[in-house]
Amino acid sequence: MSGRKAQLIFSLAVVGLGLLVPIVIRTDYMLNIVFRVFLFAGLGLAWNWVGGYSGQLSLGHAAYFGLGAYGLAMFTNRGVPMWISVLLAVLAALLFAGIIGKVSFRLRGPYFALCTIAFAEVLRLTAKNLPNVTGGDVGIQVPLLFPHATQLSFYYSAVLLTVLGIGITYWLEKSKFGYYLMAIREDEDTALSVGVNTANQKLYALLLSAAITALGGALYGSLFLYIVPDQVLPLEISTELAIVAMLGGAGTLAGPIVGALILETASEVFKNFFKEANMLIYGVLIIVVVLFLPGGIVGTLKLKETPQKLDSESGRVTVDE
Amino acid sequence: MEWVYGNLQVILDGLMTGALYALIGMGMALIFGVMRIVNFAHGAFLMMGMYVTFVLYDRLHLSPYIGFLVAGGLLFVFGFLTYLLVLRPLPGQESFMVILVTMGLSLILVDASQLIFGADYHQINIPLQSTNIHLGPHIAMNAPWLVSFGIAIAMGSAMYWFVMHTMFGRAARAVAQNRYSAPLMGINVNRVQAMAFGMGAAAAGIAGALLLPLLYVFPEVGNQYRLKSFVMVVLGGMGSIQGAAMAGLVLGVVESLTSYYWGNEWAPVVDFVIFILVLSFRPSGIFGSQRA
Repeated sequence: MSGRKAQLIFSLAVVGLGLLVPIVIRTDYMLNIVFRVFLFAGLGLAWNWVGGYSGQLSLGHAAYFGLGAYGLAMFTNRGVPMWISVLLAVLAALLFAGIIGKVSFRLRGPYFALCTIAFAEVLRLTAKNLPNVTGGDVGIQVPLLFPHATQLSFYYSAVLLTVLGIGITYWLEKSKFGYYLMAIREDEDTALSVGVNTANQKLYALLLSAAITALGGALYGSLFLYIVPDQVLPLEISTELAIVAMLGGAGTLAGPIVGALILETASEVFKNFFKEANMLIYGVLIIVVVLFLPGGIVGTLKLKETPQKLDSESGRVTVDE
Repeated sequence: MEWVYGNLQVILDGLMTGALYALIGMGMALIFGVMRIVNFAHGAFLMMGMYVTFVLYDRLHLSPYIGFLVAGGLLFVFGFLTYLLVLRPLPGQESFMVILVTMGLSLILVDASQLIFGADYHQINIPLQSTNIHLGPHIAMNAPWLVSFGIAIAMGSAMYWFVMHTMFGRAARAVAQNRYSAPLMGINVNRVQAMAFGMGAAAAGIAGALLLPLLYVFPEVGNQYRLKSFVMVVLGGMGSIQGAAMAGLVLGVVESLTSYYWGNEWAPVVDFVIFILVLSFRPSGIFGSQRA
């Protein structure tokens, strides 16, 4: 399942099965788990454009996620129609992504990742500290996006988000834009020297990614109806998106889908089986993935078939020495 | 005059916190300088140092001012082993992978201490806590803060001396300058890195121990230092331990002034804003001459 076509077929098969899930699953609890699988698959695919294909390992995607949720809540609470609020929330995320991109894309290696964390943390702390604007730690009410048959509508929206992610990724892999991004990942200086405007290409990838992430955030916030900063803006969300993509395989089409399937079901199982120790198991999982599966599951499968693709598929970043 | 005393008190308070930050930052700077990695478990190491000292006090009635040495020793061993078991096997020690691995480690440590000690806040009571030292009629310092400040300065100076004047220190600085040439000079890079990681962890652990008489201890107590310790590294000039020490003191004062004028909750925001500004406009740091 490592070829491009095979990965597409696998991804669409998962989506197809996903569409059938509501026939079998009736409880809200179970539906909520598969909702998370598809939401994080879609968001993992979006992270992958920046973190996987361009090799810019962002740990600040919680910012766009949170802006989506908060944008929806704050604009609607001020009387803006709901769907226009969603649009404005996405625009806010784009604006912020533009600022983050301008500053952080000049940095490489650990500085880039840490700078993205710092931006997201500034947003989270500001949201906590301005109770008059954002509701602070008390939280803020988010409108219900779908007035009827809510649980199912949310679920299908998450599936739709994943389909959107798959479509864009599939197009990206063979587009000129996608090749620019992969060239940047392989060797940014060389890409620059052959005439790729690396700064702009990275920014476009981030904007695309931020827009989808904000949509996911709005969806997530609306499902919960009530959000607080520590729920939609924490570092944990950023890490989860990165882990979803890297567990499955950064820079591959099926990777984030495989990653979301495993991680979201596993963390639910951990919560039930290990109770308070579930974060401990999660930590072990992260270490095991990074130590033993640096290319992710799909990346490792691909590696077995085409060993020469080692570097291009592991999505690794070069440290500026 | 009231205004002057008020600010002076705030600045002195900031220096007290700053000395502890300096120790934390120096540990991170040593790790970053020698290994070019970001240790996201630094806050968890600090938390471990706090709990070790807490248990020693709680069970054996050992004063934290002796317990900090035990915490430092244990954390050194723990850091050394962490390097050997988790970080050394990492292919190429890529920066992002290291961030994720140390984040995973941090989750494990925080959750483990939650399982062992529970999520409750603990505190120790030592007689010193009710003593205030008056510097003139308007300025008073709480005694445990002064003691922790003194020990932190002493430990920081010792660490600086160690890195500057011992064989290990020279080897560590050689690896920091060029990790490909260092082994050609007969330096065992793996051992130096393991030692450096151990010492960095020990510095965080000692800082944690010194914070025990001052703050509550709970499993997530270290989280706020995860990114903050790197703010000091960046501010101090990548990998410069004296730069990180200066940055720690400055950060302490800046936070103290921020809390005084705008409120406690804005202090971490100011940290991160400084971090972003330094990275954007002066990536070589403010206090360090060393270039990454």
